[in-house]
Amino acid sequence: MKAKIIIGGVVVVLGIALAAMNFLESNVEYADFATAQKTHKKVQVKGEWVKEQSSSFDPSKVKFSFYMKDDAQRVVKVVLDGAKPNNFELATSVVAKGKFVDGEFQATEILTKCPSKYEGTSEAVKKTL
Amino acid sequence: MLLLGTIAENLIRVGLLAALCAAFFYYRVHRGAANSVLRLARTSYHLATLLLICAAGSLLYLIVQHQFMYKYVWEYSSTTLSLPLLFSTFYAGQEGSFSLWALYTSIIGIFLMVYSSHREYEAEAMSVYSLILAFLLVMLVVKNPFELIWNAFPADLIKTGPIPPGVTNIVMLDAVKGLWAQYPAEGKGLNPLLQNYWMVIHPQILFTGFSAMAVPYTLAVAAMLKRDYSSWIRVATPWAVFGSMILGTGIIMGGYWAYETLGWGGFWGWDPVENSSLIPWLLCTASIHTALNQRKSGAFVRTNFVFSLLTFMMVLYSTFLTRSGVLGDTSVHSFVDPGMWVYWLLLGCIALFGSIGFGVFFLRLREMPKVKSQHTIFSREFALFLGAFALSFVALFVAVGTSSPLITSLLKGKASAIEVAYYVKTNLPLGIIICLLSGLGQLLWWKHSNTGSLLRSVATPVLLALGVTTMIYVLLGPEDLLILLFAFCAAFSLFANMQVGYGVFMGNPKFVGGSIAHIGIAVMCLGFVTSSRYDTKATLSLERGKPVDALGYRMTYIGYKQIDKERYAFNVEVEHGGVKKVVSPLMRFNTQENSTIRNPDLINFLNRDFYVAPVSVEEGGQDSQKSIKLMRGQSETVSNLKVQFDGFEFSEAQRAAMMQGKEFTIDAKLMVSDGNAKKHLDLKMKTGSKGAEYIPAGFIASDGKNYEFVINQMLPSQDDPSKSSVDIVIDLPADDTTAKREETLVIEASIKPMINLVWAGTITLVIGFLLTIARRVEEAKREGDKWSKET
Repeated sequence: MKAKIIIGGVVVVLGIALAAMNFLESNVEYADFATAQKTHKKVQVKGEWVKEQSSSFDPSKVKFSFYMKDDAQRVVKVVLDGAKPNNFELATSVVAKGKFVDGEFQATEILTKCPSKYEGTSEAVKKTL
Repeated sequence: MLLLGTIAENLIRVGLLAALCAAFFYYRVHRGAANSVLRLARTSYHLATLLLICAAGSLLYLIVQHQFMYKYVWEYSSTTLSLPLLFSTFYAGQEGSFSLWALYTSIIGIFLMVYSSHREYEAEAMSVYSLILAFLLVMLVVKNPFELIWNAFPADLIKTGPIPPGVTNIVMLDAVKGLWAQYPAEGKGLNPLLQNYWMVIHPQILFTGFSAMAVPYTLAVAAMLKRDYSSWIRVATPWAVFGSMILGTGIIMGGYWAYETLGWGGFWGWDPVENSSLIPWLLCTASIHTALNQRKSGAFVRTNFVFSLLTFMMVLYSTFLTRSGVLGDTSVHSFVDPGMWVYWLLLGCIALFGSIGFGVFFLRLREMPKVKSQHTIFSREFALFLGAFALSFVALFVAVGTSSPLITSLLKGKASAIEVAYYVKTNLPLGIIICLLSGLGQLLWWKHSNTGSLLRSVATPVLLALGVTTMIYVLLGPEDLLILLFAFCAAFSLFANMQVGYGVFMGNPKFVGGSIAHIGIAVMCLGFVTSSRYDTKATLSLERGKPVDALGYRMTYIGYKQIDKERYAFNVEVEHGGVKKVVSPLMRFNTQENSTIRNPDLINFLNRDFYVAPVSVEEGGQDSQKSIKLMRGQSETVSNLKVQFDGFEFSEAQRAAMMQGKEFTIDAKLMVSDGNAKKHLDLKMKTGSKGAEYIPAGFIASDGKNYEFVINQMLPSQDDPSKSSVDIVIDLPADDTTAKREETLVIEASIKPMINLVWAGTITLVIGFLLTIARRVEEAKREGDKWSKET
């Protein structure tokens, strides 16, 4: 009986330790472009879309590229693996997940944050009057 | 209509009072109050349910009547929706989905009342259950679905003075002060993503499951109050199986919805919303297994209480995660911040039901019977125990992953979500163990199996499973060792359960539910492996009329068809093995919100799905601009021109100007030629007090056409100038024929082998559950009869 408990306990502790390691590894940290360039690790960068500079979609490579300004005011070209995200025009801020490669940020995923619901609805309520 | 909302709002308040009264009176009955109090308690509960049904009916009526003076109706519905979708807007927002949850909870309570009254459990169970209903009603008092729109937007809608002529939709608020309000004539409408028949079915099933999850908790607390530590398990099991079946069905339906219409590419994305229903399901399913143990040997008393309590606690915790706004900015789903009230209320509720449940548990802990387990490692008891623990660890790891934004913000001060890979990596070993045990457990005897008979019964399933795994390896290709092991264990479970199920069926067909449910799970797991591990994908640009070969299929974009104002179907002809079929993925362009919604389409073959997700559509005609990135010394052909980048020029004089903080320029040197003419172009970047300014330069080709070049971004390399590169944009002449192309549809095509296994497994699982419920209800009925004879 005792042996069973000890073996069970060891397995459980090991499992939890592995899971914890996995958890820390899988966490994608926030960073700015400067740190992303230094570390070359997968990070997420928060910033805003610089609409003045050209953005384009390349149908042959299925890549959408645009310029993004991070919170440290640095502007970098972001190349997204995919099409222009939904609600991109509306987004007040953009979070790009990816890596820094050859002077540009290669993103695998982009999250867009739309204006807060309250502001949005106040406009909308006037529209539907 | 103004009156109806006010009435309904108050119905909920009175309903809350009635539910609290029911909880109190039932508690008095538990403490030995007279029969008249029991009648009072029942009436109170019935009243609460009735009032809630009326309030829900009112909300539905207001929605169907398009009463946009109510904020909720305005926010989620519109006059353009079809009737089923209009009904579904009832639960499109938070207020409404809490209403639905409360409504189903109250109705399930009526059944629970009748059920528990036959088993001497009514007073305790209904006392706890009424309290849960009361909490949901508090939620509705706080998040009132009947809020009037001008109270939500007073600044925009409430006005004073004379009413201008021609203004409609007016309500006079205060005739003396001349205060009036205008309300919208049209609603904002339902989120286009949700406008689908699944929206009509899926949330209802999910909330029925969520509501049912409260019953095992209720019965566990009731049992501890009654000091009944053994027979309660028979009373509670049918409910746990019912909850697990309904919630499981809801979860898979959600997966099918995501796969078939939302275009997530797969049926499971480990999204917080999905996880939040998976966690309680895992725990509930674990509790069904340990309950089986207790019925056999009387052991696992405490485990069963803890699992039953935890199931409901996890329902509350998941609700807290997805509804309180704590996940905030970390997911593609926008989790609306519902305000501090909901946040604290949900936390308070977790604290309340946690302390009730575990408080009673620790109070009774010492007197719970300690039954020494008399089984060995080679026994069904031990397999069930291990399996249940593996399930609860999956629940734990999923809960931790989903809480990642909470955990990281506590640890690091900044919330960040977790990669999906975490869930797979952490849960795969557990999945292997669970599959193995779900087969092995069925082959083992209670208490102890002898090694010889075990080996004999294991032999056939192991051999067959090896065959299946080899087939997967040979036909579909090599994979991760762990994935293959998972497939092997799933196949083993499938055959072991078929073998056992056959034997059971020959003995007593009523008892076959367990085997069938396990067969369903095993088939599903095999489907998971084949469809999401062996899928092949390709992103393709299909120019109209030009066939493209990929993944063994020939695809031709043959044009689009407009369905309504916003939706377009894009028809792609797919040819494979001489058979032609057309898939029509949809895209919906909302010009008002400037958003695109994409719905995939698929061809379902017996052994695979061919799945097409639209990415974008590029109009035909020609590009007016082209942007290229060039490394130093590199050249690229654009239109008829060869463009080469010769490096940056940053002269000493300009450097000096920069040092002194004066205006300076940097040149990007290009060499452009069209075969005849050749010209150096200097694209300038001028930096002054106003920031950077890019000055364009023109090139006139020998046919007289004019091209304009401008820097988009400079990427000089400090250490090695030969690695510098530049991003430039070229304005093309209007009649540039080389840039001309047909309309192009960009799609992501994929093949999902054997995905039908997932759906077939689901159906099998549900059948297994139904058989099990039938058996356990009968058993519980016998138990009830026994009681009524005794008393």
